[in-house]
Amino acid sequence: VLLAAYVGYLGLGAVVLQALERPAEVQAAQNLLREHWELLANYTCLRGPALQRLIEGIIQAYKSGITLQGNTTSLGRWDYSGSFFFSISAITTIGYGNLSPSTAVGRIFCIVFALFGIPLNLVLLNEIGQLMLLGVQHCARRLEELFHWQNKASFLMKTCALVTGLLLFLLLPPLLFCDKEGWSYEEGFYYSFITLSTIGFGDYVIGMNPDRTYPSWYKNVISLWILFGMAWLALVIKFCINILE
Amino acid sequence: KAMCSGKLQTALLVAGYFVYLLVGAAVFQALERTAEKQEKMAAAQMKEAFLQNFTQLTVAEMEQFMKNLVEAIQNGVYPVGNESQFEESNWDFSNSFFFAGTVVSTIGYGTLHPKTAGGQIFCVFFALFGIPLNIVFLHRVGKMLSLLCKKLGKFLYEKGMRKKKIKFLTLLFFLATGILVFLCLPSVFFQITEGWSYSEGIYFAFITLSTIGFGDYVVGKQSDRKYFSYYRVLVAVWILFGLAWIALLFNL
Repeated sequence: VLLAAYVGYLGLGAVVLQALERPAEVQAAQNLLREHWELLANYTCLRGPALQRLIEGIIQAYKSGITLQGNTTSLGRWDYSGSFFFSISAITTIGYGNLSPSTAVGRIFCIVFALFGIPLNLVLLNEIGQLMLLGVQHCARRLEELFHWQNKASFLMKTCALVTGLLLFLLLPPLLFCDKEGWSYEEGFYYSFITLSTIGFGDYVIGMNPDRTYPSWYKNVISLWILFGMAWLALVIKFCINILE
Repeated sequence: KAMCSGKLQTALLVAGYFVYLLVGAAVFQALERTAEKQEKMAAAQMKEAFLQNFTQLTVAEMEQFMKNLVEAIQNGVYPVGNESQFEESNWDFSNSFFFAGTVVSTIGYGTLHPKTAGGQIFCVFFALFGIPLNIVFLHRVGKMLSLLCKKLGKFLYEKGMRKKKIKFLTLLFFLATGILVFLCLPSVFFQITEGWSYSEGIYFAFITLSTIGFGDYVVGKQSDRKYFSYYRVLVAVWILFGLAWIALLFNL
């Protein structure tokens, strides 16, 4: 029965997403094709195959993370801060993928690095989660003593913790992203959730826009947010699992 | 005194965690920086060469074209070929199903991702309920796998081995067969179907099963190859059992 529910759930998601995304995609493809043909029409010296090759070259470059803008290519992304962020994305299993090792040695190192890093990350998250839980229970007990409530206090504290966590990790950060990244609130929220759940598509990544300047504390604060947010979300999901089982 | 040592442990853990990240970052940077520089130079050269051949186009127009092109690529549209591209969509059912799987398992390759606001919000809620569901499901599958190990343990016990030795052996067996079935064999398989090298296959297998899922290697995405019809289903089954195996490994 579980298997059926699982597969059914996946199928449902697939259908809905398909319905939502397909029209937009067709639109984008049509627009590009129109431009493509316009360009060819205007500059008849650009022969088809050569253009094809150029396009393929650009796609290839893009896939390895390089965009050609202006006279120079985009800033080096394997600088220290970029590499640090990459390490985080590897051991938290977020795995954005906007930056990924292209050398064979880099990849092997990545495997070994993750092999030890992921358990380490899990242990740390567990610790943080336990601390959070302890804190909540502590407060609950204090409330019980103060007001002589019984079970109500624990329930109240749990919902309080849930709401604060929600605010702190999911509802407020998008505002920061609105300001620093120029995303809409919905995009910020989407990014927050996709990151904290470790899905990490990589379609939105902070600090990747070459036209914007970021304050020096930005990436560090975000890293902290990721850490605590993941611990919190893991607790919430554990809770959901306990309900399911 | 116990509390003191507990706090010390946590502090050490946190410190160790960050040291780990820092060391990793330094190593990545050292390994990747030069390769990236070379690729950038190659890309710039390509652009130069192209412009030199077609002096009709001004640089500004070229920039504009490339900007548009990159935008399209970012939206997942690869403009190679002509009209026939419209028939195949990135969001046909099989792809969407695969996508849903990557969301729920938290792998999240990112080669396909929702671009409409509605799709994104739906994705969030879909994951919110799907991830716990996935974990519970994997637990069940893992239990099935562990039953096999228990059978092996019983068999050995009847043969008269000591309990400790049995435990060790079953663990070893579990580890070894798992690595073989979920990492080594699939890599060989991918060598044939995707044309990757063996190390690339292992890299892909590991990145997928650990749910990191960078998305730099994804199955079934090369337009110039023919895949047999149940390829992706097979890969999905592999991912499922591989994930369950890893989950079990963590519980042991």
